[in-house]
Amino acid sequence: MAGRRMGQRGHAGVAAGQQGQGMSRRTTWVLGAVVVAALLAVWVNSARQDRGLSGASDSIDTAEPSLLNQAMARVQDTARSQLPASPSGLQTNSLTPARLDEVKPMLGQAEARLIGIYQLISQGRHRDALVLADQLVKDHPNFQLAHLVHGDLLSLQARPVRQLGDVPDTKALAASQQLSTLREESRRRLLALTERPPAGSIPTQFLTLAPQSRHAIAIDASRSRLYLFENLNPARSSPGDNRQPNLKLVGDFYMSVGLSGIEKAVEGDKRTPLGVYYITSTLNPADLPDLYGVGALPINYPNPLDVQRGKTGSGIWLHGTPSDQFVRAPQASDGCVVLSNPDLERLLRTVQIRTTPVVIAPELQWVQPDALSQDLAQFEGVLEAWRRSRSEGNLAELKGFYSSRFSNQGRDLAQWWPRVENELRSTGPRQLAIKDLSVLRWNDTDDTRVVTFGEVAAGQNRGVTKRQYWIRENDRWTIFFEGNIG
Amino acid sequence: MSHPVNLSTTLRGAASPVVRSGMASRLRCLAVAVAVGLGTSMALAQTEDYAEVNRLLRSGQLAEALAKADQYLVGKARDPQMRFLKGVILTESGKTQDAIATFSKLTEDYPELPEPYNNLAVLYAGQSQFDKARAALEMAIRTNPSYATAHENLGDVYAKLASQAYSKALQLDGTNPAVAPKLSLIRNLFAADTRAGAASVAAAPAPAPAAAKPAVSAPAAPAAPVAAVTKPAAPAAAPAPAPATPAVAADAQREVEAAVRTWAGAWSSRDMNGYLGAYASNFAPPGGQARKAWESDRRARIEPRTRIGVDVSNLEVTVEGDKATARFRQDYTSDTLNVTSRKTLDMVKSGNRWLIVRESTGS
Repeated sequence: MAGRRMGQRGHAGVAAGQQGQGMSRRTTWVLGAVVVAALLAVWVNSARQDRGLSGASDSIDTAEPSLLNQAMARVQDTARSQLPASPSGLQTNSLTPARLDEVKPMLGQAEARLIGIYQLISQGRHRDALVLADQLVKDHPNFQLAHLVHGDLLSLQARPVRQLGDVPDTKALAASQQLSTLREESRRRLLALTERPPAGSIPTQFLTLAPQSRHAIAIDASRSRLYLFENLNPARSSPGDNRQPNLKLVGDFYMSVGLSGIEKAVEGDKRTPLGVYYITSTLNPADLPDLYGVGALPINYPNPLDVQRGKTGSGIWLHGTPSDQFVRAPQASDGCVVLSNPDLERLLRTVQIRTTPVVIAPELQWVQPDALSQDLAQFEGVLEAWRRSRSEGNLAELKGFYSSRFSNQGRDLAQWWPRVENELRSTGPRQLAIKDLSVLRWNDTDDTRVVTFGEVAAGQNRGVTKRQYWIRENDRWTIFFEGNIG
Repeated sequence: MSHPVNLSTTLRGAASPVVRSGMASRLRCLAVAVAVGLGTSMALAQTEDYAEVNRLLRSGQLAEALAKADQYLVGKARDPQMRFLKGVILTESGKTQDAIATFSKLTEDYPELPEPYNNLAVLYAGQSQFDKARAALEMAIRTNPSYATAHENLGDVYAKLASQAYSKALQLDGTNPAVAPKLSLIRNLFAADTRAGAASVAAAPAPAPAAAKPAVSAPAAPAAPVAAVTKPAAPAAAPAPAPATPAVAADAQREVEAAVRTWAGAWSSRDMNGYLGAYASNFAPPGGQARKAWESDRRARIEPRTRIGVDVSNLEVTVEGDKATARFRQDYTSDTLNVTSRKTLDMVKSGNRWLIVRESTGS
């Protein structure tokens, strides 16, 4: 008797249990789909976003649960036949576990953990994802995007989740801006992880880097991404050594730019400058307000090109975040580049002041180093001609290398040239060698080069470090800034 | 025969939704342990002690109830049922820390019982310690995977935690204390787990089900008014109302069906007057709760939802004079929870309306 009643009751229990499973499958599926959709949306970003999204929902309807990769592969095939190759030179990959493992060492730890959570969600392992999210927000209580995902995973335990940040309407209304910002942050983080630089590729700005530049930084504003490179080129003793840059990508971080975006022009415009810069110093966090986090690395904005163009403003730094925020929104600063404190700490530990270039581009283009060799060789030819004129003391020829737009701290060419003449008259002709050459390319409405090298006279051990800014005018390379540094 | 059966009957209440055999056997082990510990001859007196403490508790004589429970526990310090009651009394008395200590100790001594975890969660949630509440409820569910109250409470706790997480994400002021979820306290250990439901151990005199058993097996039970609580199987009851004219029975059946659907409709549209009006004035709220407390509990459950759907399917109605029983599958969905369960409504005809006198889940 007891057994039979137990059986009856047990049946109700079975029904409830199955229902529970059904629910979890369904809800998992929905959030999984959200991630798939996010990845897909990211994917087809460069063209026809609407189409990409509708394509995503097609895959969701027909595909089996957790077939993220199959869905990705399908869209990838379609995309390959439909979309032109990305001008960025990035390779779009689905975020398989193997790929994520490759990328992980380069990421900030918190981001790596967040992406790991996304991946579990896409696999339908939402309980595991919740456990990791519990830990992530405990370790980084100021990581807002992690809280948003955590909220979704908690909600998922009781109801379906339709999209990233499926917050109740009242909250969505109260903070709609904040919500769409977090979704954008999430989208950009995923974008950066699905679109990867091909192995060995470098941004086109780095034509060649002296061994003294042990690290280099390149920022892709369109992807809210800062890439940190280690310069693997050994010190070169003689010219003619292979000068192709040999950069290893060692860090890949989310970062924010100015509230109003990029292309800084005037003081107070809350924009981040675009160009080629160098880190000039490091600021002690003890001297800084909390807003800047664990420290700051100022860069040399406005550089001579900016000055030529009449740009104003100052105090552009790479800095950290205030204690209540893990990261800032994609566009949030007064023009500075803002990283999470752990990522900035990594930069502080790694980079050297004065010799670390910082490229800030609207969108980076990635190429294999040998694709730059012709450009480099051509420019080295120009520089060699300049060196020869200078070595020979051929003032007439040398003057031809200087632009009518020349300017150094307010001195135009007419004011500057007597210095060059006096210097060459006092030393007389002598062989000058160019050592430890760095050439950075900046190409927007003008084609320019930022050139740094050691100028050493024959028979001497030491020389001066010179920096020149070159511009291509009427098919001719001329110098519009020259100065000694260091 | 009756005592061990009674005891296991009450235990089945707790164990009933359990599906996994491993879980069931663990609970059976407990039953044996309790039975051995108490001794058969003690069982009846014990039941009376529970009933008395329960009665004092329900009538609000908390000090007396606590004294009685403590007195009982002097002799039987490990008795889980009385310790559980004591925890409920302490909770009702507002002695939260003592109640937490009592239920915590119970979870240590009887980790296989879900109810103490549930009540710990209720207390933690009352202190806005939602992480602890969640952990306790997750333990309750690990102990008993289809424990409906814990699931519903956990749904509320998850929703609250999600809301907090969203507030942190959106940097909204998350300190608004107005909307602490109201979780359901289990008032009796070993009572069937029903959201709205089954008689408590004390309320249902233990011998009744056993005594009713032969009646069920006997064809055409003359009348089982008292034994109605024992849920006679529908086919067995069917032949009984033979004297009634089929047409009248069919009308009554339709009326009851309509009443059930109206009740579900009022619940779905969160029409509290319609919903509460579907219950008779002598409706027995679950767990010996007072009608007022039950009503405010229901309001707290229903009113804050932005969306509720209650679907009734597989509806079977048996009518016997002015009494009826409706059994159906209930699909409950809301913005925070989806649950499917078997539901039984015992109804009486009052004037020309059929009203609910008893509501139970899971059988």
